[in-house]
Amino acid sequence: MSFSGEELDEFKAESLELLENAEKQLLSIDSGGDFRAAFDATFRCFHNLKGAAGMMDLENLQVHTHKLEELLMSFKEATSMPKPYVTLFLRGIDASRILIDGGVVDFSYDVEGDGAASTKPPATRDTQVPKAPAIRTPELSAEAIDEFLSECEEIVERVSANLQAMEAGGETGLAVKSRTDDIYRDIHSMKGSAFLYAYKKLGDLTHAMESSLEKIRHETHLPSKELLNALFRSLEIIDQYIQLVRSKTDRSTLDLLIPNMENVLNICAVNLPLNFSGTGSIAKPPVSAPIALQAPMTPQLATTSSMRDAELYETTKMSDENFSLPSTKDIHQPIVNKESEGATSVRVPISLLDNLMTLMGEMVLVRNQVIQFANKSDDLEFSSMSKRLNVVTSEIHEEMMKTRMQPIGNVLTKFNRVVRDLSQDLGKQINLHLHGTETELDKSLLEAIKDPLTHIVRNSCDHGIETPEARRKSGKTEVGNITIRAYHEGGQVIIEIQDDGKGLHRDAILQKALEKGLITQAEVPTLTEKQVFNLIFEAGFSTAAKITNVSGRGVGMDVVRTNIERIGGTVELASAAGSGTKTKIKIPLTLAIIPALIVNSGNGTYAIPQVRLEELVRVEQSSATHRVEIVHGVPVFRLRGNILPLVDLNAVLTRENRTDYRDGTLNIAVLNADQFSFGLIIDRIQDTADIVVKPLNRLIKSLQIYSGATVLGDGAVALILDIPGIAKVARLETAAARAIETSEDLAEKAKASSEVQDYLIVRLNSPTKHGIVLGFVHRLEEFRRSEIEYSGRLPVVRYRDVILPLISANEHLGYPPGDSSSTFVSVVVIKKKDALYGLMVDEIMDTLSTAADLDSKINAHSGIFGCLNTPQELIVVIDPFDVIERQYPNSKQQELYPAPSLASGPEAQPVDGQFPKIPATILLAEDTAFFRKAIKAVLEKTGYKVVCANDGQEAMDLLADPRNTFDLIVSDIEMPRLNGFQLAEAIRKHHTHGKLPMLAVSSRADIHSMEAGLKAGYDRYLEKLKPTILLSAVSELITKARKAA
Amino acid sequence: MSATAIDYVRRRPVEQLTTFLIDGHLFGIDVLKIEEVTGKQKVYEVPRSPSFIRGLVNLRGQIVTALGLRELFQKDSSRREDQMSVVCKLDGNLVALVVDSIGDVVEIERSLFESPPDTIPAEVRRFIKGIYKMNGQLMSVIDLAAIEKEFSPNTDPATTRIN
Repeated sequence: MSFSGEELDEFKAESLELLENAEKQLLSIDSGGDFRAAFDATFRCFHNLKGAAGMMDLENLQVHTHKLEELLMSFKEATSMPKPYVTLFLRGIDASRILIDGGVVDFSYDVEGDGAASTKPPATRDTQVPKAPAIRTPELSAEAIDEFLSECEEIVERVSANLQAMEAGGETGLAVKSRTDDIYRDIHSMKGSAFLYAYKKLGDLTHAMESSLEKIRHETHLPSKELLNALFRSLEIIDQYIQLVRSKTDRSTLDLLIPNMENVLNICAVNLPLNFSGTGSIAKPPVSAPIALQAPMTPQLATTSSMRDAELYETTKMSDENFSLPSTKDIHQPIVNKESEGATSVRVPISLLDNLMTLMGEMVLVRNQVIQFANKSDDLEFSSMSKRLNVVTSEIHEEMMKTRMQPIGNVLTKFNRVVRDLSQDLGKQINLHLHGTETELDKSLLEAIKDPLTHIVRNSCDHGIETPEARRKSGKTEVGNITIRAYHEGGQVIIEIQDDGKGLHRDAILQKALEKGLITQAEVPTLTEKQVFNLIFEAGFSTAAKITNVSGRGVGMDVVRTNIERIGGTVELASAAGSGTKTKIKIPLTLAIIPALIVNSGNGTYAIPQVRLEELVRVEQSSATHRVEIVHGVPVFRLRGNILPLVDLNAVLTRENRTDYRDGTLNIAVLNADQFSFGLIIDRIQDTADIVVKPLNRLIKSLQIYSGATVLGDGAVALILDIPGIAKVARLETAAARAIETSEDLAEKAKASSEVQDYLIVRLNSPTKHGIVLGFVHRLEEFRRSEIEYSGRLPVVRYRDVILPLISANEHLGYPPGDSSSTFVSVVVIKKKDALYGLMVDEIMDTLSTAADLDSKINAHSGIFGCLNTPQELIVVIDPFDVIERQYPNSKQQELYPAPSLASGPEAQPVDGQFPKIPATILLAEDTAFFRKAIKAVLEKTGYKVVCANDGQEAMDLLADPRNTFDLIVSDIEMPRLNGFQLAEAIRKHHTHGKLPMLAVSSRADIHSMEAGLKAGYDRYLEKLKPTILLSAVSELITKARKAA
Repeated sequence: MSATAIDYVRRRPVEQLTTFLIDGHLFGIDVLKIEEVTGKQKVYEVPRSPSFIRGLVNLRGQIVTALGLRELFQKDSSRREDQMSVVCKLDGNLVALVVDSIGDVVEIERSLFESPPDTIPAEVRRFIKGIYKMNGQLMSVIDLAAIEKEFSPNTDPATTRIN
């Protein structure tokens, strides 16, 4: 019978699916999953495949799967499967795949022995099925057979004894059940071994015996005399069989008898009396032997038995013939046919989906045009229609995307097999952990990353994870781990592959790169760690001493990177030498339609993919502090303390340099170019839009700065910018690195010599300028004087949802009241604890960054920290918290004490207003220069030694340095890199420093922050900046710690 | 056109060509290679591209690369706006060849086909398959395959003038 190509294709597709499922189930069994469910599923797969193979006349495959099925049967009652068997079945699946393709397989069903199955690749790919099945029977040693036979004899003895006991009767139901179970188990294991050693007939007989006991086991029926007789007879036959095998005589006569026996057993089984009494004793045989349906106790068995009745009716009639019951009739036919799951899905050729996607893209374009037109049109009806069109199109688009989305688990779970096989081949122990397998990805992207991922995983197994001995020596667990994590983030799919192997060694890589001529000796010191790791991606690189068969078939990481970049993704490596490597792959969610920012430059319109866009910044060059600066010839911008190299889009496009950064307003798009961020200066920002990505011809693509083109709603063509390309073309990588280094140098120098602090400069009714530390300033506002109302005698104003209490700075600093004729009042809004307060000033002038020192001796008035001695003038620095507290004493901080309330010992009490000089070293972590200097001054005046850190990370580094010893840590909360909470937690976890007393000093002293602070591990939490309270707390904590020590 | 039709046309003793003018000179392209002929199109420039790439054109939603033949043949390109485009398929993508003006479709005996004479400058001859003499005029037949090669990124810098 010949089959059409389509039928064959469908058969192949379905078969491969079955095999895949079987593989998955076996791996689940291997790692200890639900055995029952997995077993049933695997069996079904083999069984169905066998049936399909039979239908397609693929005899080889049919016989092979039949064998697998039989072997599997021996585990029917098991709760687990030993590894060699799992491997056997996995190999069997591999062999099946070859057979499906029409190849030839030389498969050994031998579990022990030296055997990887020798799957000979066929010389010619023959689509016709070869005549003779090339399946070998296993070669067994004489001892193995002998052992098997002895075991059988033992079993026969045992079962015989049990049957005799049952026959004698007089036992309770429970005892009978236990006997039946014993008999069943024995026969079952004999059956398994019989099939395993290819004594088919024996296996068939034992199978029939087993089946006949089913109903009795389930206690729905009672054993009958006929059955027991049949069983005894069977045991006799088995005995004879064994003798014949032993003496190597011909078994053919016996072979003829066996089918008969099976029939008898089956008939007896059918005619078992029902178990009404539950006693389990042997009941009288029924009157006749009607093969009629008996009232079922459980529907499950009824169906089974009715099916079998029908068959057996047939077989009994043919009892004269040499009829062997196919042992594949499984008793446990699943009643709920799970195969019907397929009805809920439909197979669709991928080309159809691709076409739909393209058409979808066109529709989106037209939809955009219609929307634009509708916006301009006055026609209401058209407008509402176009809105509906918009909604429907968006929905269709979303659903379309879903059709192509598949969970990444489809690809990732295959790695279970890969890792398992590899770890066996390499003699290593490796566990694979998968997270986020439900993360969805476009089907074409899934295809594209399969190979790169496989390569990376194999690399981890081969070069990453060490052998168990090596791991033991370096103090690691013998079992290595590879974790694959997939998740969505910012319009991309991130896949991280992390292993805890030996990691990447910078020197080894550099060495190899030098050897291969990828870099020169001179370049070595200039390379950052990331750049060194990226050398691995260069073509022609391989650090393995020899290219192993496993991972280095000349297919290197360069191909991996190319493949990933081809689909618009990126890949990067991170590693800690000795502890592992992490590979991070980012791929766009979809290629076709992306959200983008439309911008103008010169006369052209361009699109920036939104996934690359981090933020938009508007810079006024006239501003003193926030403006574009030139560092080493590269224009940069300080964005929240970080140096951002800038690229002028016009300059890139026209290739003329823009030199003028003096005036005007600049739009900067902060973009992500994978390794770093940079700012793109653009003329005008137009809009955001969903655009359809159209490919460019090769020549334009080779310019690097464009990744595609699109048609906008108004019909204009916009080029889509390739962000990494632009960065490369602007030669940003080296420039950025240089600029960042230079700025870090500058920062270093600034730290070494003096420290810059930002102040808000305001004018009060005094000839001297006043300043407020910028960190205190929450917002700057302007209110109409008419809006000011009075609560009692205190002025307030309604501000957003709250009432803002106002305080006159002039009044509190002892100056004459300012000009009250102006319509507007300038207010500096300050946050203290949880509340907002408005400090009224005459005028808000500017901000000032200065490194000038604060002179706190000239402290004539409360509410003032001191004077700043800047080169231009003197500036009085206001203490806003103090001013606020004067008017609102309730705003004073309520101190929170940790649970064991304490009364400070006599040592800590101030004596004559002075605090006792306890020699101690304090670590101060504070990022704001002003407070750092102020607190340091206060502490040093009292006689403590103070070491300063600019942020939490620096504090940790100082702590880690064994040369330093500290008695106390005073820390701010809001700090970059590591904040106060993180610092406290980290220190508390540390074994050496875990008990250090810690004091938090923060401008945020609301109840939540305080509680959080204490929870993080601080002993006390104070508000800035109360010298007396601070000193009291410091001495208290130090004394307490010393006493405890 | 169906395969059999194309086959039929190819085997005929005459060839049909669409003719057009560039800088006063007559050129022709096999009609079978032409998708359509369009009038003035708004061309969106592609900065940093070679001079002969005039830019991109929106052709009913399709993005088509506009190739300036004047620039390709290194003739004086004073960019007159009233130009026509002959749209062909090149390297799988649509390309609009920008020409000065379109002439008629002519039918001419293949037997009259000659190889290009030396009077044609080298910059033009690169892209010519051969010539037909027509009423005292020389009609140069464009070799699309040669133009296609220009689109490969690794073109000899000596022959491409970049903006």
